[in-house]
This record gives sequence, C-alpha cells and structure tokens, in this order.
Amino acid sequence: MSVLEYLMVLVKTLIYPGVIFVIILSLIYEWVDRKVYARMQNRIGPFYVGPSGFLQPFADFLKLLSKEDIVPPHVDYHVFTLSPIITLYLVLLAMFLIPTGAWNEPYAILAFEGDYILALALTTFITIFSFFAGWSSVNRFGVIGAMRALYQMISYEISMFLCAAAVALDTRTLCLSRMAEVQASGLWYILLHPLGFVVFILSMQAELDKVPFDTPEAKTEIVGGWLTEISGKKLAFFRLASDIKLFFCASLATTLYLAGPWGPLGPNILWFLAKVTFVIILVTTLRAAFARFRIDQVLAVFWKYAIPLSLVQVLIALFIPH
Amino acid sequence: MSLFEIPLGPQHPALKEPIRFIFKLDGEIVVGAEPRLGYVHRGVEKLAETRTFIQDVYLAERICGICSAAHTTCFVQAVEELLGIEPPPRAKYIRLIVFELNRIQSHLLWLGILAYEMGFDTLFMYIWRDRERVLDVLEMITGNRVLYAINQIGGVRHDIDDKIAAYMRKALSYLRERTKYYKGIVERDPTINARAVEVGILKKRDAIALCAVGPTTRGSGVKFDIRADDPYAALDEVPFNVVVYDTEDVMARTLVRIDEILESISMIEYALDHMPSGDIRVRVPRVVPAGEAVSRVEAPRGELVYYVRSAGGEKPERVKVRTPTLANIPALCKMLEGAYVADIPVIVASIDPCLACMDRAIFVDVSKEKVWVWSERELRRYSLRWYRSREGVRRR
Amino acid sequence: MSELDEISKILEGIPHEVKKARERRIFVQVPSDKLWEAVRRLRDNVEAQHVVTITGIDTGENIELLYHLWSPKVKSLITVRTTVPRDSPSIRSIVDLIPGATLYEREVHDMLGVNFINHPNLARLLLPEDWPENLHPLRKDVKLEELRKLIFGR
Repeated sequence: MSVLEYLMVLVKTLIYPGVIFVIILSLIYEWVDRKVYARMQNRIGPFYVGPSGFLQPFADFLKLLSKEDIVPPHVDYHVFTLSPIITLYLVLLAMFLIPTGAWNEPYAILAFEGDYILALALTTFITIFSFFAGWSSVNRFGVIGAMRALYQMISYEISMFLCAAAVALDTRTLCLSRMAEVQASGLWYILLHPLGFVVFILSMQAELDKVPFDTPEAKTEIVGGWLTEISGKKLAFFRLASDIKLFFCASLATTLYLAGPWGPLGPNILWFLAKVTFVIILVTTLRAAFARFRIDQVLAVFWKYAIPLSLVQVLIALFIPH
Repeated sequence: MSLFEIPLGPQHPALKEPIRFIFKLDGEIVVGAEPRLGYVHRGVEKLAETRTFIQDVYLAERICGICSAAHTTCFVQAVEELLGIEPPPRAKYIRLIVFELNRIQSHLLWLGILAYEMGFDTLFMYIWRDRERVLDVLEMITGNRVLYAINQIGGVRHDIDDKIAAYMRKALSYLRERTKYYKGIVERDPTINARAVEVGILKKRDAIALCAVGPTTRGSGVKFDIRADDPYAALDEVPFNVVVYDTEDVMARTLVRIDEILESISMIEYALDHMPSGDIRVRVPRVVPAGEAVSRVEAPRGELVYYVRSAGGEKPERVKVRTPTLANIPALCKMLEGAYVADIPVIVASIDPCLACMDRAIFVDVSKEKVWVWSERELRRYSLRWYRSREGVRRR
Repeated sequence: MSELDEISKILEGIPHEVKKARERRIFVQVPSDKLWEAVRRLRDNVEAQHVVTITGIDTGENIELLYHLWSPKVKSLITVRTTVPRDSPSIRSIVDLIPGATLYEREVHDMLGVNFINHPNLARLLLPEDWPENLHPLRKDVKLEELRKLIFGR
C-alpha cells in the first residue's frame, strides 16, 4: 500500500467516518433526542449553548470531564474505573461495523462475513460492563440496578437477536454491509419484516434503558441504579457511551430494516443520517409516550409477547423466503 | 437468602422532602417498613405559644406551602370560635373558593408527581403546565401564588370582583376539560394501569383501624370527608358529592383525586353564582377570651385539625396541629408491606405526603455530634481554605 | 341533648363529666386510670374508632391529655380529657384498641414525656437520636431560648 492509502485508512478510522465523526454525531443526536423529547413535553429543551442549544451535549460532556473524580472507598477499584473506558471502547468498535455510506462506499470500515454476530455480541458486552460498574460500586442502589440490568438483558436480547436472525436468514449473509446492499436491490425489510421491525425497536428501547424499560436506572426508585456511584470523568464516559449506543442501535435498525446508506442514488451518508434520525425520533416518541414498567412487568412484556412474536418472524423468514 | 435492608431517605429522588424509611427486603419484595420522621421539624407548636394570635395566622400559613389556605382557614376558624364571632357570609364564600382552588392546585401538583414517579415525564410536564392556570387565578385573587394570606381572624383580606370571577370561570372550564382528558389517560394508558392497579392495597378495615384520612381512605371505600361530616366555611350551602372508590389501590386514590378536582370546579362555579354581597370582614378584639376550640377542615390531603386553647390573653396557651400526612403514615407502612421495590415511590406518593407539614414541632438540623452554624463569611473562609489545600489557589 | 345522655349512659360506672361546646363538639372528662375503658366503650358503642389526634398540654402541675375521637354515629368530635401528674406521667396506651393512635402517642411521648404503658414501640419519633433524655420541648418550663441554645449552640 502506498503512503496515501495508509493515510486514507487513518483518516477513515480516526476522523471520517471513524472515531471523531461518531462522537460528534452521537452528541448531536443526543441534542436531537433531548430537543424532540422536550418539544413533546411542551418544553423548550436545551436552549442556551449554541444555536437552539445545539452545543449543550458538548458542554455537558466537557463539564463532566472537569469534575472531581470520586472513587468511593470499598469499591473494586480496577473494575470500577476500567468499565467506563471499556464500554466506550466497545461501542466505538461496534460503530465500525456499520455501513455509513461515507465516501460513497457500500461497506463499513470493518466489514467481513460474520461481523453481524460480532455486532450483536458487542451489545451484550456493553450491558455486562454496565452491570460490572454497578456491581463493583458496592452501593445498594448500584447493586440493585446492576441486577436489574442483567434480568432485563436476558429478556430483550433474545427477542432482539431473533428479529435480527430473521433478517440474516432472509438475506443469506452474516455481513451487515451485505445485508444493507441486498435490500438496496429489492424491498426494504421494514416492509418485508414489519413484525420484526416493531419488536426490534421495542427491544432496542430496553437495550438503551429508555422509558418504558428504564428500570436499571429508574431514578425515582433506586436513585441512579447502576450509575449511582459513577461521577465525573467516568460518568462523562458512560454518558458518551450511551449516546454512541443510541446512535449504534439506531444505525443497526437502519442497516437491518431500512437498507442502511442505500437510497435511489447508491450509498450515501445523507441517506444514512436521515434514516438514523428517523429511528431516533421514533425511539424518543416512544420514550415520551409511556410510564415506566416494573422489572417483573418488563420480563412479562418480552417473554409473553415480544419473544413469541419474534419467533413467528423467524419462522416466516425460514419458510417464506423472499 | 437473608433479608436485605435498604434505607430510603432522608434524601432520595423519589421523596421531595426528607423522611427516612428502613425497608427490609426479600429480593425485590418489601417485608417491613419502619418510618423515621422529624427531619424538618420546625418547632411551630412551641413557637406559636410565644406569638400572638394574629402572628400565629402567618405561622400557620407557613406550615405548608401547598395547602396553606387549609391551615389558615382551620386556625382562624378555631380562633373565631373562641372569640364567639362569625365571619360575614361573603367572607365564608371567598374562603371556600380559595380553599377549593387550593385543592385543585394541590391535586394537580400531586397528579404530576405521581406521573413523574412512574417515569411518565410527559404527563408530568403537561399537568404542571395546566396547574399554572390555577396559580394564575389564585394570584389574581390573593396576590400570591403559594402563600395566599387570604384569611384573617374575622374574615378575608381580598374580595373577588366581576373581572376576576370572569377570568376564573374561563380558567375553570379549561381545567375541567383538561382534567377529564387526564382522567381518560389515567384510565386507559396501559403503563399507568400496570403501575397503579392492584398496587399499594389498603383494605377498608385497615384504613378505618389505622385512622387514615382524606383521599387515601376514600380510595379504600370509606365515606369520610370533613366537608360533609363537619361542614365549615360556606360548605353547608354549597352542594357537592363525596367521591369514593372502592378498589383500595393506587388507581382508586388517583381517581378520587381527579374526581375531586372536577367536584371542586363545580363547587367554585356554584359559589361564584350564589355569592352573597356584603362585607368581607369584621373587626375583632386582640384579646381572645379563655377557652378551647377544635377546628377541622378537609385539606387536600385529608383531615386537618387545630386545637387552640386560650388562657385569656393575646397569646395562645397551646396550639396543636395534626396534619393529614401524619395520620396517613401508619396506613402507608401497611400498604408498603408486600410491595415491590419498584412500587415504593408510587405508593409513597399515593398518600400525597407533605412532610414539612407533618414534622411541625422541632427545629431543623439533626447532625450528630458536630452541631455548628456557619455565617456566610465563615463558610466563604472555609471554602477558600479548602480550595487552597486541594488545588493550590493562592490568595491575591 | 340526646347525644350527651347517650354518652353518659355508655360511660356509666366511670366518674365522668360531659358537656357540649357547640354543634358537633363534645367534651368528656374521665380519670386517667379509666381512660382506656372509656375509649373502649366509646369505640364499641358510638363507632368512635377514628382517633383524630392526641393533644398534650402542660398545665403546670399536671399534663392534660385530650383524645379527640370522631364518632360518625353521633356525628360529633368527642374529646376525652384526662390529666396525669407531671412528675410521673403515665397512662395506659390505647394502641391495642385503635392501632391508628400509635404515632400520636409517640409524638406526645417525645414532646411531653408521657409514658404510654403497653405501647408496642415507644421509640423516638420526631426528636433526633442525640436529644437529651429528659428534655421535653413542649413542657412549659422549657424555654425557647434554651432549645435554641441546644440546637444552634448560641
């Protein structure tokens, strides 16, 4: 490879559509989420920093970074301090698997047969590390929140993975970029798998700890859940990680059901961003329209309704392939 | 698995005011709850003995910000009974109107808090936006949004003129529509139903045995409303229904309050139509003859009682206040037994706790061995010292 | 005056005094050793099971206790008045009759130092844990300045 190609790889991984692009965009999406949420509640939302409060998430992030870094006594120091860093690393890694359509390329930075499995595994790891953070903080609320995160995980992940499996069965590939490409030449999977899409979005809501499934960090019940003892830089990292996770989950839904970056004129970043924004607004709308479920009710929703429905979707994909 | 003890409070996001519960948990289920009160005890009862009757009206006003009209109404009625005077009929109507507006305001506030405790922030924001309309009306009548200072011994301070009445009618019809809409939401929304139906059960016989009051007991099917049993102000002339639901859960208490808002709106509209003309206050002597009186009102949260004894001077001999929240605490502990951890905030909220009014009688600050009070200057000096030692800030 | 006669009949055998202060307000005076019995009879006969509150007043020599009971049957607030000596105030608890009285008895115990015999848990309710054992803030000999000094140290 020539020097230029090396440079190109560096630019892709670090700047566009890599780390910096992802971080900036996730913070912008946090603003979108907050602003839409606020407007739905008849509030103004972020307002002061930047035009229409556009820079508020950046300001929040910087403020948290500058805060005192508190490590309470009795915590498991290494797990407690490493889990935010590892979580952030994992979500960033996951973003590399998403075909964004940057530079009009149909494939993601990291695309190989089987990256789909890695992407789903990473979402599990992220939850497990939030469990570690809560568990190692040796705080009652933290421990309860951590336990709830795990309880919840063993329900929503199953339905989420089954829906994704249905798409994989239909597209006959295990590469996310290929999945998007297949849809570009035919119908989008939101039309072919409407049931799968609905269940996927519902599970995503739980994956992202959003109302009505925000039991692990339900602030009126268990203070901050697994985040209770997390402060300062660690909180900044976790918040950034959850923003990127929102971006990642929305792009995963986009890739699986909305043909990723493909539009009428080949792969394009603008198509991708428009679709991701649509999914994020959908998630925010759901968040604004419901009250929080109790943990047992969350499990009931997924085991009684979501998982059977996703199984139906898998069976449809198996016996009626497109 | 051994029992897990979890403290809730005195500071907790679900509690707007300090109270402490020790919960014994078996997994996610509460098996025992022990309350500890007194964090915001301000010594009002003791203080009231050192102030004159007129000053005590203002003290009573400040026992609770949310139901301040209830406290003053109750206190001035006790003093008027001691003095043997009757306020003019128009004053009674104005008292009733402000009282019921106060109830609407308090119930809307509570409904928002309940939605917030359930994680339903959108409903919370909408309800609190509409609550502003009631506060606007109260501000027009009394000049204040929170501490109304409308009652005085012998009558009321401000009159309601036609302009205010017209504005009030408009606001009330808007509120009636909104409240009906919220009632529909509460009845139909699946997530609210999941969190409120059959949660926080208080059996009718427990409600009676534990002397619960207000909407808490009316949600358990007990027809107990001071406005009907022991009418005060102009209540014997204004018709209304006592709202009772008998499902004994959080949903019942919610619906009782929502229906009471609607009921209060009708009461105010009736009172506006039938308000007699005349004076709004009578002159009263400063010295109150010796005697004792018990006064009761139905505050938004339930029965509020003042016992006032005078030894025949300017100052009371004893003022005893029993606020509704204190009466509901034993019932609350009963409801919490067998509940899920996740239901604790909703159940605690369902009695509409108002702790500052509950803990009247001591003084703030319960710090352990170190008791100190810093002046602003000392605090500033301390903070400078602290920063210098931590981050090397130099003095200029 | 039928309510008064009714109450007098119920309290037969207990030395008592009944008077009606106004519409829906009845005051009854009984000796302190018969209070429990009086409350029991009122509860059983006129449905006075709602304890509104218990007021304690320091009158100098005695501590006066007022049990405010709401009776839906006679539609009156019956206030049962009794006095206990200030030096060794103790009285039988009514918690076993009306469980709802538990917090009110604890409050009176905190504020005036009345000992309620048979109360299941007479622990501190409102006063802080480190409060002096024999200082009861609502007694008349406790001055406001003294309390201020105790709490704020000046």
